[in-house]
Amino acid sequence: MANEEEGLTVNNLFSEVTSALDKFKLEDDSPTDYYSPYANLEKASVLHEARCFHDPTAVRESPRKCCTVIAQLLHLTNTGQYLNSAEATEVFFGVTKLFMSDDASLRRMVYLFIKEVAETCDPDDVIIVTSSLTKDMTCDVDLYRANALRVLARIIDGAMLGAIERYVKQAVVDSSGQVSSAALVSATHLFERNAESAAIVKRWISEITEATSSPNEMVQFHAMQLLYQIKKHDRLGMQKLVTQFSQRNTLKSPLALVLLVRYTAKLLHDEVAEGRVGSTSFQNGSQFARAGYAFLEASLRHKSEMVVYEAGKAICALPNIEPQELSPAVNVMQLFLSSPKPAVRFAAIKTVSQVAVNHPRIVSKCNEDLEALIADANRSIATLAITTLLKTGSENSVDRLLKQISVFLSEIPDEYKITIVKSLQRLCFTYPSKHRVLVGFLSNFLREEGGFEFKRSIVNSIISLIKAVPETTESSLLHLCEFIEDCEFTMLSTQILHLLGELGPGTPSPARYIRFIYNRVILENSAVRAAAVAALSKFAARCPSLRTSVMTLLKRSLDDEDDETRDRASVAVSVLKGAMEEFPYVPPPQDVEPDAEPVPDEPQPGDPAAFILLQGLPMSFDRLDRSIRAYMRAPAAMESPEQLTLSTLPVVEETEPEHDEKDINEVVGDAALQAAVAGQKEEKKEVVDPAAAVYAIPELASLGRVFRSSPPTELSEEETEYVVRCIKHVMPEHIVLQFLIQNTVEDQRLTNCTVAIEGDSECFEVAGEIAAESIKYGETANAFTVINRNTDAALAPCSFECVLRFGVVQVDPKSGEDESDAYDEEYPLEELELATSDFMAKVSVPDFRKAWEEVGNANEVLEKFALQFKKQEDAVAAVIDFLGMQPCDGTGHIKPGEGGKKPHMLHLSGVFVGGRNVLARAQVAASGDAAGVLLKIAVRSDDSDVSRMVADCIR
Amino acid sequence: MSLLTHASPPLLPKVDAILVLDSDGNRLAGKYYGDFMKAASTSSSEGNNTSQQSVEQLRQSFERQLQSKISGIVAAPNAAEVVTVLGKTAVFCGGSPPGQSGSVRVVHIGPVGESELVLAHLVEGMYEALSHLMGGSTDRNMILDNLELVFLLIDEHCDGGIILETDGHKLASSVLLRDEAEASRNQQESMAGGGKGGMGGMGGFGGMGGDMTIAQALRQAREQIMSNLNQN
Repeated sequence: MANEEEGLTVNNLFSEVTSALDKFKLEDDSPTDYYSPYANLEKASVLHEARCFHDPTAVRESPRKCCTVIAQLLHLTNTGQYLNSAEATEVFFGVTKLFMSDDASLRRMVYLFIKEVAETCDPDDVIIVTSSLTKDMTCDVDLYRANALRVLARIIDGAMLGAIERYVKQAVVDSSGQVSSAALVSATHLFERNAESAAIVKRWISEITEATSSPNEMVQFHAMQLLYQIKKHDRLGMQKLVTQFSQRNTLKSPLALVLLVRYTAKLLHDEVAEGRVGSTSFQNGSQFARAGYAFLEASLRHKSEMVVYEAGKAICALPNIEPQELSPAVNVMQLFLSSPKPAVRFAAIKTVSQVAVNHPRIVSKCNEDLEALIADANRSIATLAITTLLKTGSENSVDRLLKQISVFLSEIPDEYKITIVKSLQRLCFTYPSKHRVLVGFLSNFLREEGGFEFKRSIVNSIISLIKAVPETTESSLLHLCEFIEDCEFTMLSTQILHLLGELGPGTPSPARYIRFIYNRVILENSAVRAAAVAALSKFAARCPSLRTSVMTLLKRSLDDEDDETRDRASVAVSVLKGAMEEFPYVPPPQDVEPDAEPVPDEPQPGDPAAFILLQGLPMSFDRLDRSIRAYMRAPAAMESPEQLTLSTLPVVEETEPEHDEKDINEVVGDAALQAAVAGQKEEKKEVVDPAAAVYAIPELASLGRVFRSSPPTELSEEETEYVVRCIKHVMPEHIVLQFLIQNTVEDQRLTNCTVAIEGDSECFEVAGEIAAESIKYGETANAFTVINRNTDAALAPCSFECVLRFGVVQVDPKSGEDESDAYDEEYPLEELELATSDFMAKVSVPDFRKAWEEVGNANEVLEKFALQFKKQEDAVAAVIDFLGMQPCDGTGHIKPGEGGKKPHMLHLSGVFVGGRNVLARAQVAASGDAAGVLLKIAVRSDDSDVSRMVADCIR
Repeated sequence: MSLLTHASPPLLPKVDAILVLDSDGNRLAGKYYGDFMKAASTSSSEGNNTSQQSVEQLRQSFERQLQSKISGIVAAPNAAEVVTVLGKTAVFCGGSPPGQSGSVRVVHIGPVGESELVLAHLVEGMYEALSHLMGGSTDRNMILDNLELVFLLIDEHCDGGIILETDGHKLASSVLLRDEAEASRNQQESMAGGGKGGMGGMGGFGGMGGDMTIAQALRQAREQIMSNLNQN
């Protein structure tokens, strides 16, 4: 340590060498081979050192030492040794003593330290340095002024800012760039801090504008930045500002120009969002749209790469952009793709891959450059290049591309491989005719080295391909069979065995899978053996011809050491034995009924009927799980004498479909990013049962179980005095309306709030109300209104007039104390509608076709409608909305590229109140002319009234 | 779609963190800005020990993930490399080939919507200033011996996440408390005679530039000896 302080002399040189030699002697226990003032710092000893700040002589004589101690204090946080509040305060007071010293470098460290510690100390303590700082801020040394300003900005509040406003304002236009920048950046922080400071900063607008023409580039940048923060809510002001700067061409700083490009893009987005550009191109849009686009386009020729890239990226991200407007930006990106700088290539490929989602044709001119990037040393770039190529490549380039990928793939980490597997999967959806090559390619991956996540992504891809492209079934299954021959992941083996059991028996030659499966029984661990036995018994159940041979194999598992495997085998053997005795297999006619049912894959509660087990559970595990949870949430459910069966479980609605995630995968190349997104999604999954609010109130809970709860409907405009939303909880014979009432008036407290509803309907009758007793400012409370439903009358849509009735108490906004007695008040709300769809729960069926056949056409209702929609997509969305049912088999969205050409078949399922299953098939076809869309709909259920009611939902 | 289109470039560009890491990914110096890697539960005024511990753990696990992506990659001082970590863009300069100790890495972490070119501009500026301050060598020990300069550099470079200065020479002069104008007149010359305005104690820093190369030479020599001895 001493060496560093005094500077190096020949003596020190000697001591350095000797210390090195000493180290050699002591090498057994010295891990560090040098001695730094910052190595192995102990908090306690540093704090002890820091006491020297209180010694005026030490401060005067050895400012260098003080600097080191401050740096050591700062370094403590690097090693995870944070100062607690008391320690920080003590050190802080010590540091304030250092203002006595005139040493510039020490002063600089003091500034730094105050900033660091300001967060940990009591703000009231920190305030004491204000006078020292203010003194420094007005001195004539630029470095002092700039730094003092920045420290001050951290610690002062609005009132103190007012006191020193004059100095800061002057500093904004200081001749020194450093001071001016410091003032502008500090002002930006203050502007964000609180409204009081922001109001003061706003008063400096002319100084800030003046600073934008400073010769110092950073000052221009900081001034632009702050100017935007101040004006960002003033659209016209902002447009004027942006136009001025883009035409005057005074900004020299590339960073400031980057900002200008961003502001322009933001304003252009707003123009589009507010409909001032129309459906035509930007060049024909509003005046600002034209000028804005022209500026972006001109910036593509700026000399700084940073600005060029920003403009290109901005153009690529413009909404509804025309291909010819996009083209110059893509050209620029293409040049960047071969830049020697990795950051430039990365940025360009990221942008290009985003453009490729919507405009693959424009990007396809970059294909050559993209292919060159497959060999890029930066693996993120290479991966993005491949995924982009997979989007832009034509069908006949697939084979060549695959060859390149297979070389690349062996040398990258798993997470990148997963991204590529996903793109391959999408490619196969686009070009189904390439499935043989692609599935073969994917299964080659399976044999390569790789972790669980990677293997799982391939298996999942192959499985989803089987679903989407049925022709792949046989080859894929055989590939998977080969994979489980040598698969170290139990979970994947069992998943594949299950899949084999499901699909294998349906293939033309099921016998060929038996060997693969039986090998698992011989060679694997217990979980896999059990899965293999289950799969075998499915083959036997479905294919009577195989029964005799499978029986022989199954019998060998009867003395398996694992209980589960043994149990499955013995159930299968005994069921099969019975079935074979009753219906002995007669070789030629293959139509022997597979009446017997082998073991289920999973233990089945409650229902041993064999044939149902072949079909698996009537609902997914996820749904069963949610359903049981919903059952348990209802009050007194656990004491109910009623027997719990699958059919008495409450109906749960489908949660949001997963297509969001798919979209993200499409754009994002990096798997880590996806992981981050997935993490967020998981958090969101914690759904609160909306009915909990109802169950919490005993009077309402006694009405029974809530069948379904609607999403909240707004009954008032946003930003009105009283914001009211309504959730409809449907019960078998009642509807509970939950009104969420929010009070946004600061000097009022609402009492005894109810929503009075009035409607003219035979089947609905208001039965009672529960008022929200008191709602303070900013709070939301619930009021309930109960409606009885006359179940004999046919359900007809009905709308209700709603009025919010409440008492108002004036309160003092500061103290929150009441200032007056309550007086009654009414507030009109928007109408509330009870539609048939409110009584329908969105519930999907596992196999729509089968379910459709099973319900039969006894109670079918057929209707035809002409709908006033311009686009087929809109009509499909509207039909789903009218009926309130769940789209099945992915028919809820029209596949991209197919819109308008073919009639679209929509499959819907749902459960009507009372637990009646309803299915609907709707054909939506664009009628030749522009007049609208033709809808043919068939509704089936086991009650013709229900079918009729549902069909009548179309309006 | 939702994620990336929403990740439009920030209108008030801010850096989430600036880190100086050695070749094993240890943080030699660093600063996290705003809410990045700060647990929501942290109470700032109380200085609650347990919550701060968890902030430190959060940061360390982030740095581990960062290190797993950047280890072994060497980025030239004027050609920053990019990786993405936990949904953030990380741009860095420096580094050493696997198994060797060499230059430290200067890493800037920015939001995913931030332009990689802007971040590269920042990191290249700071790296230039750093190597200038360290007398041309940016190895781990050099940095550790002169940490206070690194702290000051980060502070001159970025204020509360907002970019303050990006020019390497200007940054270095500010850290060494030299006047801007003089610095540009006299850039290569590292001898710092006076400066202006009679600021006492300036020599404390000024003298260092010349000595540093000697210190560094010594250290390298020492390391050479050590490694030779260790091999035997």
